[in-house]
Amino acid sequence: MPNSDPHIYRAPYVQVDETLCNGCVLCVKACPTKAIRVRDLKAAQVEGSCINCGECVRACPRRAIKEITPQSVDVFHKEVIGDLVVCPSTVIYTQFGENVLPNDVLLGLTIMGFNYVHDQTYTSELYQFAMELYIGETRKIADFPFPLISPICPVVIWLIAYRFPSLLKRIPPIATPREIVTREAKSRLSTKYGVELENIKMLHITPCPAVMMAMKENAPPYVPYGDRVMGINNIYEPLIKNIQELDDDRILHHSSGVGIGSAMSGGEIAGINRNCLAVSGLHQTIRYLENIEMGLLSEVDYVEFRVCLEGCIGGPFTVIDRYRAKRHLQKMIQMFGVEKRIKYAYVRKLYKEGWFFTSRHGLLAGDDPPPLTTSAILEGIERQNRVEEILKFLPRKECSVCGCPDCRTFAEDVADGRAKLQDCFLWEKQKERFKIHLPP
Amino acid sequence: MPNDHKPILLKTFEIMPRDFTRAGEVSIKVQGTLKSIGFNSDLVRRASICAYESEMNVVMYGGEAIMVLFISSDRITLDVKDDGPGIEDVDLALQEGYSTALPEYREMGFGAGMGLPNIKKNTDSFKIYSEKGKGTHLSMDFYIDRK
Repeated sequence: MPNSDPHIYRAPYVQVDETLCNGCVLCVKACPTKAIRVRDLKAAQVEGSCINCGECVRACPRRAIKEITPQSVDVFHKEVIGDLVVCPSTVIYTQFGENVLPNDVLLGLTIMGFNYVHDQTYTSELYQFAMELYIGETRKIADFPFPLISPICPVVIWLIAYRFPSLLKRIPPIATPREIVTREAKSRLSTKYGVELENIKMLHITPCPAVMMAMKENAPPYVPYGDRVMGINNIYEPLIKNIQELDDDRILHHSSGVGIGSAMSGGEIAGINRNCLAVSGLHQTIRYLENIEMGLLSEVDYVEFRVCLEGCIGGPFTVIDRYRAKRHLQKMIQMFGVEKRIKYAYVRKLYKEGWFFTSRHGLLAGDDPPPLTTSAILEGIERQNRVEEILKFLPRKECSVCGCPDCRTFAEDVADGRAKLQDCFLWEKQKERFKIHLPP
Repeated sequence: MPNDHKPILLKTFEIMPRDFTRAGEVSIKVQGTLKSIGFNSDLVRRASICAYESEMNVVMYGGEAIMVLFISSDRITLDVKDDGPGIEDVDLALQEGYSTALPEYREMGFGAGMGLPNIKKNTDSFKIYSEKGKGTHLSMDFYIDRK
């Protein structure tokens, strides 16, 4: 099978509750990597490459599919959270209505007992400018493939690794804001208090199950963290109480509206002064990746992909609706203005020193695998011919009763010996129609 | 057509001229077929770029066309034959930036005069036969083991 590179393979992050699953095929049809099957009309099972997109969780009407999330109960004990460095995603600022500003959220977190709270919005502005510099540099290289692809959404990176590996080169080696904040906060605290780096634990508050997974499992493409992660929805209730009782006037938030805006689709590229494009939603992302792989859109410098509709504010661990969050965010952007609050000359210097660069953790290194041998091509073609042959006899109703997402995938499964022709619900009719007497 | 190597896979696709809503579908199918056989990603990319460019040429200028995908032991061949108006001056059409596209096509983002030059760049060998009024035949080869 192509695209099943073992070093990026991880266990699926979803779990099927077999007592709740009735074997309908909504999740099978929703999965973008065609990883789910319902065999013998029983419960759904994840057999292939899961990219943590959460589509199956959203599709399941019986709530039988659940994300495997880390246990995060212990962070509410005061003695534990005092030592944690907390780094909330910028999405959290949109979740409390228009009267709560980013600074209030950050103060609310300190009142909860977190001693070290780090804002990401300022780093987002640094990141955007660094990306602008990187694009300018790579545009000067002859024949460098464009557009580049944003490294921020982890699902997009996994999707590319499985379905569009030729596009991996286009993901810039620039560290994402959450990576930069993690690295910098840890190293500063380490020098200030003389604590070993490994003993500083961060808590990331995120709207995104994929980020949670990436941090928990040290999965590529991000640098290993070994930190704690929790969903915004887990901390919402206690946090909103603290925000309502605020009595503090410290200032913890420093960015303009550009930095805050990166929580929504189009927000990341709003701070990048190049020819950019923002695409959100899983199916739209796949369509654009297909086009980019065919060499289209080369006049565009940079594409911001988010698999959640409207960007990270549509993530599964958010509390309020994505469109209301967007409204709050737009008001805040107006309030804080769109002029970045960074020193450009200083960022240029940091960029030259390599401050923004990261290795993409093994995922992007290495060249293409060697060309196929003749026997491998023959094998691949023979399989392809077998698939086409089987497909001729299938009804092509795309009904998925067999438990595969479509007739072609069913034919592939039959060709690989993972399904039987009799699994097709209309097989008896097809047999009559084509007068097939052979045992398949 | 000099094609003495024996095909071990042969697939044909129809391309409808002026059908902009479905333009690009044939090349996505070609791309999918090559990917599922397991060819390396650079080869798939080059072949699908050429499939796309030649498909768009047919959609914009050509007549009804057939795209044939041959795979033999050493190469992938894409053959596109149409019965359209043909190309008046092939050498001129191979120059970057030369285009006869209608203004409305340019409006849609096509017709920048990069089609044939792009095909030339991405193929290992490429032949074009065209006669005015009789149609165009484009044959593109991609070597599986590029030396």
